[in-house]
Amino acid sequence: MRFKSVKDVRNRMEQTGYIPSQEICTIVFLAQETQKPILIEGPAGVGKTELAKSIAACLEQEMIRLQCYEGLDESKALYEWAYAKQLLYTQMLKGKINDVISTTASLAEAVDEIAEHEDAFFSDRFLQTRPLLAAISSIDPVVLLIDEIDKSDPEFEAFLLELLSDFQVTIPELGTIAAKSQPFVVLTSNNYRDMSDALKRRCIHLYIDYPTIETEKEILRMKIPGIQERLLSKVVATVAKIRELDLKKKPCISETLDWARSLMILQQEDITEDAIFKTLNTLCKHRADYGVIQENIAHLIKG
Amino acid sequence: MVNVILKFVSCCRAADMRISTAEVLDCLGQLEIVDPCDERQFKTVLGANFAKSRREQGEFDRLYHFFFHALQSGFPLEDGLPEEKTQKAALSDAISDKMEQLIRQVTDQEGAEDPDKIKENELDQALMDFLAGNPLAFIQEVQKIQNRDEQTSQFFKSNLGQLSSRLEIMLRINRLKSKMVQFLGTHDAFIEPWAQSDVTGLKKRVTSQLNKALDFLNTEPRLDNAGLKETGARELHYKNVGEIPFANLTPGETQAVKQIIDRLVRKLEEITSRRFSAASRGMVDVKKTIQRSVKYLGVPVEIVHKARPPRKGKIVILCDVSGSVWSTARFMLNILYSLQTCFSRVKSYVFIERPTDVTSFFYSNEPNEAIKNILNDPRVNYNARTDYGMAFQQFRDDHFRELDKKTTLIIIGDARSNYLNPREPLLENMRDRCRRLIWLNPEQKKFWGTGDSEMMRYQDHCNEARACGNLNQLIDFIEALVL
Repeated sequence: MRFKSVKDVRNRMEQTGYIPSQEICTIVFLAQETQKPILIEGPAGVGKTELAKSIAACLEQEMIRLQCYEGLDESKALYEWAYAKQLLYTQMLKGKINDVISTTASLAEAVDEIAEHEDAFFSDRFLQTRPLLAAISSIDPVVLLIDEIDKSDPEFEAFLLELLSDFQVTIPELGTIAAKSQPFVVLTSNNYRDMSDALKRRCIHLYIDYPTIETEKEILRMKIPGIQERLLSKVVATVAKIRELDLKKKPCISETLDWARSLMILQQEDITEDAIFKTLNTLCKHRADYGVIQENIAHLIKG
Repeated sequence: MVNVILKFVSCCRAADMRISTAEVLDCLGQLEIVDPCDERQFKTVLGANFAKSRREQGEFDRLYHFFFHALQSGFPLEDGLPEEKTQKAALSDAISDKMEQLIRQVTDQEGAEDPDKIKENELDQALMDFLAGNPLAFIQEVQKIQNRDEQTSQFFKSNLGQLSSRLEIMLRINRLKSKMVQFLGTHDAFIEPWAQSDVTGLKKRVTSQLNKALDFLNTEPRLDNAGLKETGARELHYKNVGEIPFANLTPGETQAVKQIIDRLVRKLEEITSRRFSAASRGMVDVKKTIQRSVKYLGVPVEIVHKARPPRKGKIVILCDVSGSVWSTARFMLNILYSLQTCFSRVKSYVFIERPTDVTSFFYSNEPNEAIKNILNDPRVNYNARTDYGMAFQQFRDDHFRELDKKTTLIIIGDARSNYLNPREPLLENMRDRCRRLIWLNPEQKKFWGTGDSEMMRYQDHCNEARACGNLNQLIDFIEALVL
C-alpha cells in the first residue's frame, strides 16, 4: 500500500501511533516517490527508529534492521559462507566424490570433473544471509533500517555506497545479485561523527528534534488514554524545562511517557517537589543529573 | 522555476555550501512531486537536498530567507490571497524594469565620468547586480572576506584585514545608496515618463535593498551544531583533589593526582586488553584449518579463525601551551602517552602561535620527563601571543597529512585568541578530514565566549566540546575516549 500524497502519509502514520511533523511527511513521501534512502539525524530518543517502524507498518511491509557498531563488516552485514557446514558436507560426501571421479583417466580430468560440481558447494544452501542481503533478495519489498550508521567504520560506509546507489551486491562465487524489489531504506545517525559527502549525497536528509510542546502533548494523549489534561500539560511543560538544563542525558519521549505513567500510578495530581523525587528514576538515568535537577527544583515546579 | 532554483543554488555555492549538480536535479525532480506553492513543502524539499547535515541547516535557513523573502525578487511566495499575490508580482515586475533602467543610467553616467572605473571595480558591479535582484556576486565578495588567509607575519599582527574589508563594503553601499537617490532627485528628464508613485517606490526599494545587503554583511553565519556532544561532567570520582582546577594544585596535590592517574591508566589498560582478546574471532583461516585437520586424518575438527587486529584509533593532539592551559595540557599528555597501548599512534603538537611537533620527546623519555623537556624546547616561542587562527593555518599547511578518517583530533586550549582572527573555517576543514574533532577547554563552561574567548565559534565545528579543568572531568573524558 503506497502513500498517495503528503496528507495520506500523515493520516496513515497517525493511525499507527506516530505523530509526524509536516516536514517528516513531506520527506517520507518524497523518499517513496524517488526511491532514495532517508538519512535521519537527531538526538537519542526522538523517535528515529520509531519512524522507520511506523513506515513499515503503514506500507504493510516487513522491517529488516541492521544495527551498526564499530568493527561491523560485510560478513556480519551482508553474507557469510557456512564454512563448517561446507566442510562437514565434503567429509560426508567423500564416497560420492570418489564415484564421480572414478571414471576419469587422468588427474586433470578428475579436476575438471570436480570443477563441474563446484556449484554444489557454493550455492544458496551454504549461504548465510545477513540483513542487507535479506533485504535485497526478498521478493516482497521491505523497509530496511540501518541504525546508528555513524557508529560504523568508514570502510563499511564506503561499501554501503554501492548498495544504496545500485541496489545490487557482488558475491564473488555467485555473481551479482540485483534487488528483486527495491527496499525503502532508512538510515539513522546520532551525529557521533560526520558522514561522508558521498553518502549524504545519495540520501534525503531529515533532522528530527525534540517534539514541540503541542506535539508531545498529542503523543501522550494517544499513548496514555486516561491521562488528565491538567497533569498532561504540567508533565510536558516540566520535561521541556528539564531538557533546557545542562544534563548528561536529556529525557526523551519514551521517558516522558514512563514518567507520566508512574505519576498516574502513584495517583499524583500535581507536580510537586515530592512527586518529582519519588519518580525521578524514570526521567534521569545518571547520578550526576539528579544533582542538577535538585539544584533547579524551584524553577521546575514554578508556574 | 528552474531559473529561480539555479540562482538560489549559485548563491548557496557562493556562500561555501557544497551542492552537486545531481542534488539540483534531484531537487527539481522532487518539486514536481510535491506542491511547490505550499511553502513548507517547497522549503523542505530544498532543505533536504541542499543542507545535508544539521550544521548546514542554519546557513541554509539564512540564505533561504535572504533569497526568497528579504530580496523579494518578484517571486510570489509571500502569504496572501492569490489575486493580491499576482498584483504584487506585477507591481514588483514593473519596478524591477525601472530599476534596471535606472541602474543602466547610473552605470553609464559613471562610465562617462571615469571610463576605467567601473571595469576595475568588481565590488560596485556586485552591488549593482544585487540591486537588480542578483545577489550572487555580492555573496561571493562577502564570503571571500570570511575565507581570506591572514598574512603570515612574525612581529606585527592584527585582525584588521577582515574588518577593514567589511568597512569598505559598508562605505560603498552607503555611497551607492545616496548616489542612486540623488540621481533620482536631479535627473528629471529621465524620470519624467514615470508616475510619481513609481519614483518613490523605486527610492524605497533602493534603500531597503541596500539595507538588506548591509544586514547580510553584518550578520555572521552562526552554525546550528545540534549534533555537538556537550558534557557538563559532574561525576564525582574523587571528592577533594578531583574538584581543584589543575592550575591551583599544590605540589603535594599534584603528586596525588599523578598517582590517581597511574592507577587509572593501569585499570584502563587491563579493561581494553581484555576486550581486544575477546573480539579476535574473525573469518575462517582456511590454510590453518587444513593444516590442523592433518592431525585428525583430514577431518577438520578444529576450525581456526583469523585473528582480527584490534581496531585502534590514531590520536593527534594539538595543544595550546600558553600559561593557563598548560597546567591541564600536561596531565592530558601524560595520560594519553601512558595509554599508548590503547591507540595505534599518538602524535602531539604544541602551539602558541605556530604548531611544533613534540611527538619525539615522548618516544625517548618517560612522559613526565618529556613534558619537562618540552618546556625548554627552543623551537617553541614562549613569549609570543596566542593566535589560534595562525596556529590552525600553519597546521593545515604543514601537518595536514597526519589527519585521516581513523584519526581523532583533540584540541586542548582555552580558545582565547587575543582578539585575533579566529579562522574557524580552518577548523571545519580539519573536522572534515578526521574521524572526530574533540575540543577540551580547561575553563569551565560559564566562561566560554567571554572576553576574547572564541569558544562559541569554535564549538560549532566540533564533534564534541568539553570543559576539562580538573581531575574528575579528565577522568570522565579519558574513560569516554578509551572505553
